Amino acid sequence: MTNHFGDIVANSKLIMMVGANSAVANPIGFKHFLQAKDRGAKLIVVDPIFTRSAAKADIYVRIRPGTDIAFAYGLLHVIFKNGWEDKDFIDHRTYAMDQIRAEAAKWTPEEASNVSGASVAQILEVAELYAKTKPAAIAWSLGITQHSVGSSNTRILPILALVTGNAGKAGGGCQIIRGHDNVQGATDMANLADSLPGYYGLGKAAWEYYAKTWGVSLEYLQSRFHPELDAKGEHKWMHAKGFSLAKWWQGVLQEEKTHSSAPIRVLWVQGTGITSMSQQVKIKEAIDKLDMLVVAEPFVNEAAIITDRKDGIYILPAATQFECEGTLSATNRSAQWRTQVVEPLYESKADHEVMFAFAKKFGFYDEYVKGMKMRVEKGEVVQYKDDFVWPDDAVREIARTVKSIGLSGWTPERLRKHQANWHLFDPLTLKGHGEMEGEYYGLPWPCWDEKHPGSPVLYDVSKPVNEGGMGFRNRFGMEHNGVSQIADETVTLPGQKIKGGYPQLTKANIEKVLGITLSEEEKAQMGPSWAMDFSGIIQKYAREYGVCVYGNARARTIVWEFPDPVPVHREPIHSPRWDLVQKYPALPDQDNNFRVATRFISEQTKQDWSKEFPTIMTSMRLVNLSGAGMLERTSKYLSSITPEMFANIHPDLASKYGIEDKGMMWIHAPHGTKIKVRAHYNRSVTADRICMPYNFAGVMQGVDLSANYPEGTRPYTIGESSCTVVNYGFDPITQISEFNAGLCRVEKA
Amino acid sequence: MENINSRLKFYCDADRCIECFACVVACQNAHELPVGIARRKVVTLNDGVEGKETSISIACMHCSDAPCSQVCPVDCFYIREDGIVLHDKEKCIGCGYCLYACPFGAPQFPKDGVFGAKGAMDKCTMCAGGPLETNSEIERHTYGQNRISEGKVPVCAAMCSTNALMIGTSEKVSELYRTRVLARGESKEANNSYLWNVAYNKQSRKGLTQ
Amino acid sequence: MKKYRVLLSSLLLSMTSLYAISTGTYDDPLYGTAMLNAIPKYFAFGEVFTYLQREWFWKGFLIALFLVPVAGSIHYMIIGPKVFSHDGKKIFAFGLFMRIMHNLAALSFLVLVPTGFVMAFGDFFGGGTFVRVCKNLHGIATPVFAITVLPMIIAWIRDMIFNMDDVKWMMIVGGYLSKEKKPIPAGKFNAGQKAWFWIAMPGGILMILTGALMFFLNINLSPVATLFGVSQIDLLRISAIIHNVLGMVVATFFMVHVYMAAIAIKGAIHSMITGYKEEEEVAILHSSWYRKLKEEGKV
Repeated sequence: MTNHFGDIVANSKLIMMVGANSAVANPIGFKHFLQAKDRGAKLIVVDPIFTRSAAKADIYVRIRPGTDIAFAYGLLHVIFKNGWEDKDFIDHRTYAMDQIRAEAAKWTPEEASNVSGASVAQILEVAELYAKTKPAAIAWSLGITQHSVGSSNTRILPILALVTGNAGKAGGGCQIIRGHDNVQGATDMANLADSLPGYYGLGKAAWEYYAKTWGVSLEYLQSRFHPELDAKGEHKWMHAKGFSLAKWWQGVLQEEKTHSSAPIRVLWVQGTGITSMSQQVKIKEAIDKLDMLVVAEPFVNEAAIITDRKDGIYILPAATQFECEGTLSATNRSAQWRTQVVEPLYESKADHEVMFAFAKKFGFYDEYVKGMKMRVEKGEVVQYKDDFVWPDDAVREIARTVKSIGLSGWTPERLRKHQANWHLFDPLTLKGHGEMEGEYYGLPWPCWDEKHPGSPVLYDVSKPVNEGGMGFRNRFGMEHNGVSQIADETVTLPGQKIKGGYPQLTKANIEKVLGITLSEEEKAQMGPSWAMDFSGIIQKYAREYGVCVYGNARARTIVWEFPDPVPVHREPIHSPRWDLVQKYPALPDQDNNFRVATRFISEQTKQDWSKEFPTIMTSMRLVNLSGAGMLERTSKYLSSITPEMFANIHPDLASKYGIEDKGMMWIHAPHGTKIKVRAHYNRSVTADRICMPYNFAGVMQGVDLSANYPEGTRPYTIGESSCTVVNYGFDPITQISEFNAGLCRVEKA
Repeated sequence: MENINSRLKFYCDADRCIECFACVVACQNAHELPVGIARRKVVTLNDGVEGKETSISIACMHCSDAPCSQVCPVDCFYIREDGIVLHDKEKCIGCGYCLYACPFGAPQFPKDGVFGAKGAMDKCTMCAGGPLETNSEIERHTYGQNRISEGKVPVCAAMCSTNALMIGTSEKVSELYRTRVLARGESKEANNSYLWNVAYNKQSRKGLTQ
Repeated sequence: MKKYRVLLSSLLLSMTSLYAISTGTYDDPLYGTAMLNAIPKYFAFGEVFTYLQREWFWKGFLIALFLVPVAGSIHYMIIGPKVFSHDGKKIFAFGLFMRIMHNLAALSFLVLVPTGFVMAFGDFFGGGTFVRVCKNLHGIATPVFAITVLPMIIAWIRDMIFNMDDVKWMMIVGGYLSKEKKPIPAGKFNAGQKAWFWIAMPGGILMILTGALMFFLNINLSPVATLFGVSQIDLLRISAIIHNVLGMVVATFFMVHVYMAAIAIKGAIHSMITGYKEEEEVAILHSSWYRKLKEEGKV
């Protein structure tokens, strides 16, 4: 979230939710939308399904899954045509909006309506309401990201905010609603295959930086990787992305072309729902083929259940959140300190204990924990003690290292104090009072240093940087195609001692940008750039001059590194509209992303899928279950709310196939898999689509896998996983599966 | 009778309720109820129908003239001074009459008897326990937690994720709800708001707020 | 053979009533959406039931409880019982199977009626274990009764059709108001017995059905509810009303029947034990049947 929930409650006049059903996925978050609504804010919900959130909306727009970009361009077309855009904002703070304008010109309301299924009247109504009501927030969630065009989706919505000048405004902005606690934190800490923590990437500079903070040599880190060198003589696999959660199984099966030193032989699962990923049958085959599967979870992860293998599976009891202590990042980037409630029960161990034991066994424990014994002295990271305190020293390690998103101010002392003084913060502004005066609750990142109060609203130029303000980040160079990427001089924040936009601060440019002269000692201690400056000197000067270390730049509306620099509509890989596939085809096939080849256009145009699979299939979440549901389905109360897997189907569609209400039906997917689920007649779906929860597992293609659960671990409810039939399709950048726009054929069972 | 407005009441704001089941699960969990006993229920009407879908959480409304207490053949009900309607499970025979008299389906019946015969009735106690010794183990076992005696809000309302479920004296609850409705600019709705005062007098069903 | 088929089907019928179906809480047929939809219609049956149960049922049961014993005592004191010779010839009236059926029914009624009264006046007994046990006995006795209903109907329905004798019988109230032993117009069953049959059999079925509904509470009855155009909770309310009202009537008739069999006509009860009635008793109280038997030469 660029803003926070309290800000929405207090300031938003309009909230447009696209591809988010927070009433189900984040009920507490949704409360704030309802509170804003009670204050008079309008709530617009854009969704293929009439969700519980939609039921509370002032305006509900039903679109076809996978057409968010078309719908957004429809809005942009109307906004530009009527001159409702915020021209000043576009001129001063954005780059390449003309290219967006050109693309939007193609999307007349009629075409947007033809593609998305929203009516022309609705597009006109929403465009006018969104453009003219300020501040207006856009909220989204997995309905936007989990698409074969997910990364374009996540760009087009911020563009809407930029065009209307809602970015960086209280009550405006882009609100990405996380569905579990610490999803934000897990991302920040890079539980991912393509970056080191803090979005530093996998470049050599990043590895060098991390080698320093961890107190090990780069050579040591290199020695942990396969020794193969690339053409430039660099360690090939160290700088290459790993396999992603979405397609790791190809690393085992190697059916599509893979790029790795060897096939994957062992899978270690800790804190993730393998059964909530698409292509379940492939995942099963991959697990069957592995040498070994280790599952370290509080509850039996159904990764261990879907396989037929009888040995080579190890289930380790990991502790729950109540048995651990540490920090979490909330959906609004605030940190929260979590206290241990009970000691880990029975044999279970906290996640870090499990990892420590692993490191000890494999002989790298000392290197593994060394970072926690170190601190910064005169710009150098040095070891200063022989022991460490969990979790405080881990938090300190993060604070001294992760400068990219401004975690420098997150010291354990400050975060503990915030936890102890909840009552001293205002829920609407996050501002503290009394003892906590001058700080925002949870120090929402970026929190540049130990004096910084945190930033409740990102890119807010109405506040001084030292009080949580900032411009857009200068991350993509000084200029592009001869156009400056720096904000113009009208964008001067209060308290800023230099005028207008400026680049990100580096050792090389800081003297010029701020007009200062560094001493030799400072130069010696200073890191190469603000994000890698252990000494903190760059931030010290930035504070003094009221500037933001990452610069004050323009928001780019095009991403020239991406296959689609300008986000464009592309039909889902399995599209119900063959005519539109010709007009808006998928990207060319990919040879290597996350070490594996992925089919786009070849899959999309292999045949007219809609002939054989005429029904759109989309997924949803149930409020009582999260993720793969393995945790909640072990609760008798939660599982009794939805005792069975089902799919929502419109009575008209069902009767066409002779499927009765509460009767069983088969759902067949284009890749030849099928699931048997109960049909629930429901008018939240139209007659062209079905919708089903993804929170079940334990039954596969009609086969009950109850016998595979270790004795006493079978959840109260099991069911078919919708991920068995979720269609093939992945985002070209993030490789997230296409969970939301697929095709299927239903059949009476 | 003492001032009717000082009696404790529940009210569920249907414009806020999103069917998240937090109240239901909180209740079941806090009182360790058997599965199938729903002292509190969330029901969605017109599920999926655009413009008509409404969710609402219902439990015992603790009626001032509690019809259940009027029909009980063994007279096991009693109404506390603060308006909480409770019953004595020792006396209850599980006949089901209170359910027939109740407009809201509050009374629940565990099927623990011979051939699935209904056991003693179980219903929302507004987290106020029962006639046994307050906060004793046996009270907790028989009637669930007694949070009221500890000055706590009933667990359902405490857990409500959207603050849809309100609890308090009729006066306070209607005041709170009226503020909300007026802020919504739908003053017409304020007139329709009702708190269950007298269960079967058609006139008074419209409520206290008029 | 036929008898046993009837018996078997009756058994199966009563077995089905024992099968409790568990239901999920997601949308319970009783407690779910239907209940919420029924709230606006509460005034129809909910209010009526509450009103009746609060104001009238207990009065009705009180009357039912005392009416027969009081009337019976007065009758006994003023007119006295009829005594027939037990030394004369006997006439075979009821076969073994029907005697078993009848006596099972009688046994179940001996449980059902008193336990019903205990429940109706539960507060008098202070609720608790005693009343709860009575409630459970009430439930357990029901299937026993249910088994006997079909055989009794099939065996006796032809004899139970009203005819002119019954009108005459009614005119003289079966001759019970006099001490004279004058032949009274009646077939195998007199008008009083017939009335009892017609109340106990269809009424009994209705009692079983309404009782079962209340016993099982939230099994899915939506087809039945739809049939009557009401919600399941209203179906239960209607059941409770019917069960109570019929209960009073059946209990009253049962007590009359017991009074007649055991007290008013000395030894009449033996016919249901041995199967034989006293010839004199038949000649007087069932004169039309006696005449018919004579014509057929069976006496």
